[in-house]
Amino acid sequence: MANPGKLIYSGFTLSVHGVLEDNEIDSIREFIDEHKRSIYDAGKLVLDFSDSPGIESVAAAVLYGSCKRFICAGVKVRRNGASAVIEKLFETLAKFDSMPDPQKKRLSIRDYFENIGENVYELGKTLYALGHFFGETIYAFTGMLLHPLKVRWAMVFYYMEESGYKAIPIIAVLTWLLGVVLGYQAGFQMREFGAETFMPAMIGYMVTWEIGPMLTAVLVAGRSGSAYAAEIGTMQVREEVDALRVMGFDVFSYLVTPKMIALLCVMPFLVLLANFAGVFGGLLAGSLFLNLPASTFISQLGKALIPLDVLWGMLKSLIYAVIIANTGSFMGMRVRGGASAVGKATTAAVVLSIFMVIIADALLSLVFVHIRPGLSM
Amino acid sequence: MFSEVKKDDMTALKVINLSKTYRESTGEVHALGPVSFEMETGEFLCFLGPTGCGKTTLLRTIAGLEKPDTGKVIIPSRSGGEEPVIGYVFQQGALFPWMSIFANLEFPLKAKKIVKDSRREKVESMLEMMGLSSFASSYPHQLSGGMQQRAALARSLVMEPDLLLMDEPFSSLDTRTSQKLQENLRDLLKKASTTVLFVTHNIEEAVYLAGEIIVLGHRPGRIVRRETIDLSDPRSRVSESFTEYLVSLRKTFESLVSD
Repeated sequence: MANPGKLIYSGFTLSVHGVLEDNEIDSIREFIDEHKRSIYDAGKLVLDFSDSPGIESVAAAVLYGSCKRFICAGVKVRRNGASAVIEKLFETLAKFDSMPDPQKKRLSIRDYFENIGENVYELGKTLYALGHFFGETIYAFTGMLLHPLKVRWAMVFYYMEESGYKAIPIIAVLTWLLGVVLGYQAGFQMREFGAETFMPAMIGYMVTWEIGPMLTAVLVAGRSGSAYAAEIGTMQVREEVDALRVMGFDVFSYLVTPKMIALLCVMPFLVLLANFAGVFGGLLAGSLFLNLPASTFISQLGKALIPLDVLWGMLKSLIYAVIIANTGSFMGMRVRGGASAVGKATTAAVVLSIFMVIIADALLSLVFVHIRPGLSM
Repeated sequence: MFSEVKKDDMTALKVINLSKTYRESTGEVHALGPVSFEMETGEFLCFLGPTGCGKTTLLRTIAGLEKPDTGKVIIPSRSGGEEPVIGYVFQQGALFPWMSIFANLEFPLKAKKIVKDSRREKVESMLEMMGLSSFASSYPHQLSGGMQQRAALARSLVMEPDLLLMDEPFSSLDTRTSQKLQENLRDLLKKASTTVLFVTHNIEEAVYLAGEIIVLGHRPGRIVRRETIDLSDPRSRVSESFTEYLVSLRKTFESLVSD
């Protein structure tokens, strides 16, 4: 301790002797640090200024700050024998302390609403820009349908391999596992009522209507939507997108539509694969855990499903393909700044793609209820 | 934005009252202008200004990559096409990493729908002129920074642009390489008589390269000084007149920074 004798701590009293000066703040802090454990344990602290004629302002502020921390931790702090000057100084400090900090002012209700409004406005602007982007891509796409030779087929095949062929293992394994789990859990519940023979129908509907298309879309959004955003985002950062524009290329035809065409080609088949894997998982669960022979499973499934069930999932996947390719590319195109912006764009691309896929799925379900025989109430 | 000007007119670029404000969620940034100037065919104009004064915004707006808030840009097409051909050399080169140097140079010619034989001929002669013939099959990452910028310049020149825009193309290179490329650029442009709008914050680079220098003030970028550089070729960096220009422009520049 730098100033022996000026501060003495005994019992729960901290006695101050003589004038505490501003240049002693380090030793004051050190002293308090040394005794803080005992002060916390005692639960109370008396600052005794009987032997102190005064205290300089910065030293007072340091002492006041320490006392405040003790008070926050539940220690009762009081002053004893302080002269009028010291008392006034501490009162002034307390007065300033209680004044609101303009930087950290509490948000009023008005501010909350303003923030909400601003966020909604920003979201609206993003969705508007995304809608515009969709329009541009569809325009470029229809132009390409009229001139198929203009399509960069090499890139389409590359993306078909990256987003389709390479996604086969993960989609097959995950939907198969989900089929097993759902088949077992649903069958187990149904067996309570002797209704396990309805499990194949249930798995069939669940997988072909929802799980197959949805899980495929989520996985493709995670694998490829993020990759598209990262690829275009990096090109944007390296000014390659601008270079393309200056050379007179239409960036939508060049960068976005090949990705969309590739996804449109592969998604329905990925969904078909997911359906097979999911149903096979259910079949396995039935024969392994529920004594439901494969032949019964297949015949029950055949009675329940109609071709439209499978076809509908495949058709839905075309819409998901447009959403994923466009959202990924859109987020990539919006990248401004450096590498960190690319990371944010990939995350945003996945989140927004999945969000939009689920919204689209909900809307399509409403349509499906009306077109599938036996579903409308 | 672009419109036709009579073919016998020597005007290569006309910028009238151009201004640009970026609207971000954090607020508005008035980046440029209003700025007006003209360039004649074959002229080398250099925009000199401190970092963040709107030089890049000016180039991007002229290239059509940004929409201006006010004003317009007129670039007459001399090649006979509807749209003028603009070359743009970016700060980082922006070569396509998945293409060889040859393919990079050939790429813009494909956009102009030039037939294959003619394309190859143009690219080969450009590679030879730039001393890049032995790197034709290399990929950009296999080249040094200086070589990459040289290839980027070649890619812009092979299009035979009506206007070549260069955005601090040598700023990321070491001094020696940068000076070497500046010398190459002067030699090359003497032969090609291309109209060049060059942007830099390096006073020496500007004095060495330009026929005319426009100094842009702090954001929002506005023209504060226009200076014709009357130096004979070959330009020497140690000549008295070169140093006089350098000192005079440095004074203008320093007054901008201290403002």
